[in-house]
Amino acid sequence: MKLKKLYGILSVLVVLSMMLAACGPATGTAEATEAPSSMTAEPTEAPAAQVPQTERHGGWLDEIDVSVVDGASAISQIQAGAIDFYSFTLASDAYPAIKESGLSTTKSVGGYYGISLNPAVFTDTNVLNPFSNRKIREAVNWLIDRNYVNQEIYAGGSLPKLFTITTQLTEYTNLIDTARALEAKYAYNLDKAKEVIDAEMPGMGAELGADGKWQYNGKPVSLIFLIRPDGDGTRKPMGDYVANQLESVGFTVDRQYKKSSEAFPIWLGTAAKDGQWNLYTAGYTPGGFPRDEKALFQQGYLNTSIQASEPFISTTSDPEFQQLGDDLAQGHFSTKEERDSMMARALELSLEDSLFVWVIDQQTYSPYSNDVQVTWDLALGAESTNVGPYNLRFKDQEGGVMKVGTNDLFTQPWNTVAGSNWVWDAGIFRATSQGTSNIVGGGGLMADPYTGLAYPQRIDSAELTYKKGLPIKQNLDWLTVNEVDQIDVPADAWVDWDAKTQKFVTAAEKYPDGLTANVKSVVVYPEDLFDTIKWHDGSSISVGDFVMSMIQGFDPGKPDSPIYDESLAASIDATLTAFKGYRIVSTSPLTIEAYTDAYNADAELNILPLWPISPFGLSGENSWPILAISNLAEAGGELAYSSDKSDANQIENTSWVGGPSLEILSKYLEQAASESYIPYEPTLGQYITADEAAARYANVQKWYADHGHFWIGTGPYYLDKVFTTEKSLVLKQNPEYVDLADRWAAFSQPKLASTVLDGPGQVTAGEEAVFDVTINLKDTDQAYQNSDIRLVKYILYDTTGAVASVGEAVEVGDGQYQVTLSADETSKLQTGSAKLEVAVVPIPVAIPSFTSFDFVVVK
Amino acid sequence: MSVIAQAPLEKATIRKAARFGSFARFMRYVVTRLATLFVTVVIGIYLTIMIANMGGYVDQIIRGEIRDRITNLIALNQAYQQMDPDTRRALIQEKIALEEKRQGLDTPIAIRNFRYLSNALQLNLGRAINMTSDSGSKQVRLIILERLPATLLLMGISQLFLFFSSVFIALSLSRHYGNFWDKLVIALSPSSSVPPWFYGIFLILIFASAFKVLPFGGMVDSPPPSNTFDYSMSLLKHLALPCASLILSSFFLSVYNYRTFFLVYSSEDYVDMAKAKGLPSRDVERTYILRPTLPSIITNFSLLIISLWTGALFTETIFLWPGLGRTLFQAIGLYDIPIIVGSTIIYAYMLAITVFLLDFVYALVDPRVKIGQ
Repeated sequence: MKLKKLYGILSVLVVLSMMLAACGPATGTAEATEAPSSMTAEPTEAPAAQVPQTERHGGWLDEIDVSVVDGASAISQIQAGAIDFYSFTLASDAYPAIKESGLSTTKSVGGYYGISLNPAVFTDTNVLNPFSNRKIREAVNWLIDRNYVNQEIYAGGSLPKLFTITTQLTEYTNLIDTARALEAKYAYNLDKAKEVIDAEMPGMGAELGADGKWQYNGKPVSLIFLIRPDGDGTRKPMGDYVANQLESVGFTVDRQYKKSSEAFPIWLGTAAKDGQWNLYTAGYTPGGFPRDEKALFQQGYLNTSIQASEPFISTTSDPEFQQLGDDLAQGHFSTKEERDSMMARALELSLEDSLFVWVIDQQTYSPYSNDVQVTWDLALGAESTNVGPYNLRFKDQEGGVMKVGTNDLFTQPWNTVAGSNWVWDAGIFRATSQGTSNIVGGGGLMADPYTGLAYPQRIDSAELTYKKGLPIKQNLDWLTVNEVDQIDVPADAWVDWDAKTQKFVTAAEKYPDGLTANVKSVVVYPEDLFDTIKWHDGSSISVGDFVMSMIQGFDPGKPDSPIYDESLAASIDATLTAFKGYRIVSTSPLTIEAYTDAYNADAELNILPLWPISPFGLSGENSWPILAISNLAEAGGELAYSSDKSDANQIENTSWVGGPSLEILSKYLEQAASESYIPYEPTLGQYITADEAAARYANVQKWYADHGHFWIGTGPYYLDKVFTTEKSLVLKQNPEYVDLADRWAAFSQPKLASTVLDGPGQVTAGEEAVFDVTINLKDTDQAYQNSDIRLVKYILYDTTGAVASVGEAVEVGDGQYQVTLSADETSKLQTGSAKLEVAVVPIPVAIPSFTSFDFVVVK
Repeated sequence: MSVIAQAPLEKATIRKAARFGSFARFMRYVVTRLATLFVTVVIGIYLTIMIANMGGYVDQIIRGEIRDRITNLIALNQAYQQMDPDTRRALIQEKIALEEKRQGLDTPIAIRNFRYLSNALQLNLGRAINMTSDSGSKQVRLIILERLPATLLLMGISQLFLFFSSVFIALSLSRHYGNFWDKLVIALSPSSSVPPWFYGIFLILIFASAFKVLPFGGMVDSPPPSNTFDYSMSLLKHLALPCASLILSSFFLSVYNYRTFFLVYSSEDYVDMAKAKGLPSRDVERTYILRPTLPSIITNFSLLIISLWTGALFTETIFLWPGLGRTLFQAIGLYDIPIIVGSTIIYAYMLAITVFLLDFVYALVDPRVKIGQ
């Protein structure tokens, strides 16, 4: 009887377990593929909030509570109401669970995966490396069914990837004809792969055995495949799939499952010719909004790659590809047309080279509650979106407390010189700062999260002058662009820093024979800048903040400086090779010229408005008193901005938010305040008075007393409280912020397009055929404005799947276009099933919309 | 029959000699024992260092990671893209060399190992290679100290509860050998083969996700309450699931072990004799069963106390509990040898001291045990 009771209890436990297990996420169907965008052709209006809908300044929310949440439980936590938004990204295998949960989600480009092939002929002549043959490397493209991989491994939530450039984003859209034609050419075709391999292998001395396996010197041709089982776990099934495919064409595959730590020393650390590997499941993550990917051919395929290691240095490329890749990387072209043509050819040659065979462009997701509104960067995700904190809110509500979860916090000490650059920490920095473009030094601008371009936030006007012949293109009309034969750097421009005299070095002093630059940008700031922009401690921003930030960009790299840091010096020297000078033309209104040899293809991204932000590309703003006391602590040998210097000197790494640094900084704050200390007085003494210094230090002292940290910005939220061990923090709305909360409301949602293509199901070869294209805003019935459409392109595929012709659709109404296939075009089609594809390239977003229509061709 | 009587002086001399002999024996024992334990600690720490850096293979791994990280950083930085390849390569090499130097890879592995060992033995814990404390410091001492309270809280509550509840319940079961509860405990004891983190996932699913009554993880609410009472309540709420998972995963096996242990002692002849003599069962239990088991129970308890130091690697990770276990887990993943060694040396010293002191405790609680014999 007792036993029966016991069994009864156990049975209930088992049933309960099964029920809980059944609550797990189910697999879902894939979402229809969307398309990317391109470089916009005509200058367009900057987005602005139409009629102000609010009187509220700063952020929409009263408070944002950020804490660390395990990504695996993020969806459940949102459903349970524990958090409202998980701002870090989840891999695409989480997408079905997000859909199943009914939550909203961001969707942005994640990492990309592919197969790295060893190109070397092995030293051991008894071992054959088939991938030393370029034709066999190329054939691997046909071996891989990328759609299958996407559906089976990535739950349909990612994008099949054929090229080194990002699939369905700016460059891809720009090269859409070539890209689609190549995708058709390299579509999955096992027979074709086998045919090429069968043709090439005998020439390399291999023969096909009776068992269908390739043999070399009497032994099977065995391929060592380094497969990574770590990371998000998707590289393992991807590697297994590719291994299966290779085995199906006669290779023997030695699958070696190795974590990054074990695989790296073999992949990058051994000479390719040593033959310790043949294939490796490689993965990369994008570093910024990929508008300009011209350097990727050199980086990913050539022996001149920036990754100056194996296997790159062991590859020998086709001379045309080598030249093309190097020229593109170095910007050796003079017009956009020339660049496009070089890029198109490089795409083709990269597939023929196939040092990497790309497989998947991952999409990543950040889930959020349906009553939340999130703005996210299509390429970088929510936490890297400069405008993100400005637009984060509860729908149709002002105020409220939002709970946000992320992957980690305070991973490294927080300072803006050489501190944390982790994406979750930087997400907080963005909330406390003015916006920036996606380019280093782009303060005072706001990055467009949907195109990667930038709009003015804290500048009144801007003018760009560039040297004639440079392939720079203007997209937006908020700046003036000029082209000149030569740009001379004025003699009084500041081109370097003398740490000994604590003065800037002028162009006349350093370059007595004169100095020229490729690009000059002139930025005029608003008249009321110094009255309206306040630091969170209540101080007004001043010219001193701007100049201090400039100095901070040079001084740590100078051996004579008391804050010299060897680890920063190399970067500063590298920057100085392109940097040609700053010049403060006026302080009322503040007008600053910047000269440089480095340039970007987009005119907007060449405007370099100085702003008190990190000169080293980190996020966060620099109030001069904070830099001053940190510099004093570093000069005193008690703190160091960089971990390298703190390790070398066995001292603490400067943190403005916690740890032993706070006490040290506080001590130097007292000292600076008592002396009304003006840092770099020979220079800053011209911009900062002793009274201003005293007032600024007093404000910082009060701030520290109230909040217990030194993180001070000017953004729409301020950092109220920090809990380092509990890994959480509180951001509060900054009611003193100059802009209304809806300043960037135009960026609330991406204007994605959805396209429908309709036409005759049967087309007679040699006769004209007309197809209708309807373009709407995604998920609405609202027609997409034609003025927001850059281009509607059609691609006609013949019955074999090859591209038969390419053309542009004609506008016939609002959101209505028409494709007319001429009699000449249809006459080239064979009888059978053909396909028409349309690509819509919108201006406001970098993601195009694709759709296709199958029809039958009859004679 | 003659009796040789000892003179008082002789007696004192003999007593003195005996005392001196005992003291010498005691000191010899102490010195030998301490030396043995020290050698054991040295060997243990050196092995830890060797394992942590995989006999030097970790250097290769770290070099690969440094190269990959720095080339990617440079590749992604637009400022370097228009730089000519040779200058860029030189810059990359310079940065790689600097980072390798920072991580100490420019010093031969053998020297580094002995340096780690020597510093560890002197409790000079040094600086972490990659990790920082939550407040931003790289001093291993601060990293450990920052996480210690959270671990002691979690492990202390769960392990002490587990220990005392196991002992008392086991004692009760041993009294009622073969009843329903006894059989239930035996039946459920294999449940301890499931690790605590697995229970953790289940408990999160039930109490956080389904019933929404307890938090998913973390140590306190976000933001942490400002007054002490609310903070304590929040802490208790967050402790519930990780503690429950640690207790659940060991509870039945622990009770089963103690119950068997008590049963063995309660079936000794002298216990039967005591019962036959009609001694009250409470006296039998206290004097004839519990007393002889004391050395074992004290040993278990002492080891339990020092095991609090290590934390629970996976459980802390599942519940995002900011404890030492999670820190050690991260340190192992990052090959941060100073943290691994720092954590191990403290444990090793505590273990050695505990083992040393236990010998004296045994002598105190069990008259049959003599120090140095």
